[in-house]
Amino acid sequence: MWIVLCAMSLCVSAQEGSEGGTAATIRALEHQWVDGQSRNNNAALNLIFDNSLVYVEYGKLVSKGEYLLRIKAAGPQISQIVMEPMTVRTFGSTAIVVGTYREKDVTGGKPGVRRWRFVDTWMYKNGGWVLVAAGAAPLTAE
Amino acid sequence: MSRWMLVALLVCAASWAGHAQEDSDADTKSKIIAMEHVWAEAYRDKDPRALARILDDGFVCVSSDGKLYSKDEILADVKASDSLQLLMDSMVVRLHGDAAIITGIFRTTGLDHGKPFARRERFVDTWLYRNRQWISISSIVTSTRD
Repeated sequence: MWIVLCAMSLCVSAQEGSEGGTAATIRALEHQWVDGQSRNNNAALNLIFDNSLVYVEYGKLVSKGEYLLRIKAAGPQISQIVMEPMTVRTFGSTAIVVGTYREKDVTGGKPGVRRWRFVDTWMYKNGGWVLVAAGAAPLTAE
Repeated sequence: MSRWMLVALLVCAASWAGHAQEDSDADTKSKIIAMEHVWAEAYRDKDPRALARILDDGFVCVSSDGKLYSKDEILADVKASDSLQLLMDSMVVRLHGDAAIITGIFRTTGLDHGKPFARRERFVDTWLYRNRQWISISSIVTSTRD
């Protein structure tokens, strides 16, 4: 009986540990994405993004190829993205991340800050987590 | 001769399996699109009952003004809907095993405090196959630019 209880307890701990590990991994990937974008590092972004990625950027739907082309063509980044706390919910091999970030940029010579809320969908494929869908909306309701 | 017949049978079986898979994928995509229409009808009719069945309890939605909604908040929003008509188009479903991503556009017309409005918004929704049914786990809506 004790063996069964101990085994059950061990399973629960392993599950919780695994969930926590997944959330940490995905949070790290979110930061890698921001880092890759700010450094125009397409090779890093290519590994993070699934080939079928759909991304809604400023209300426009872009594919992985289009997004990477834009990053490649972009000059030194004048906007800076600062990530804020995010929530990761896992559903087996799918994870949903909800969070906010601040985008600092210079428009018409004037520095400005915009705050966005995002929802990203990650999936576990071929031994790793990849981004399959993402979108952000400007926080105007604050 | 029998060997050729066996090869022919295997080719037919593989082809049939391929078609079956395509049909199955097409059915799944149709189901998900149909459920998106349930969503639109819920807003039009101010009736969240059907929608409640296809949203996961942990469902989250970010609206085009950046507001975060839970399932309960969305269901309350449906009851207070000011939309008279909600048309959906350009829907594309991408299947990833037991998950699916759907993108599309919806055009909403309605009355806000007596004033008519028209909105065109893009959505990205994530669906999951759970307990033998598809349920939505997240949605993001943004104003369109194209």
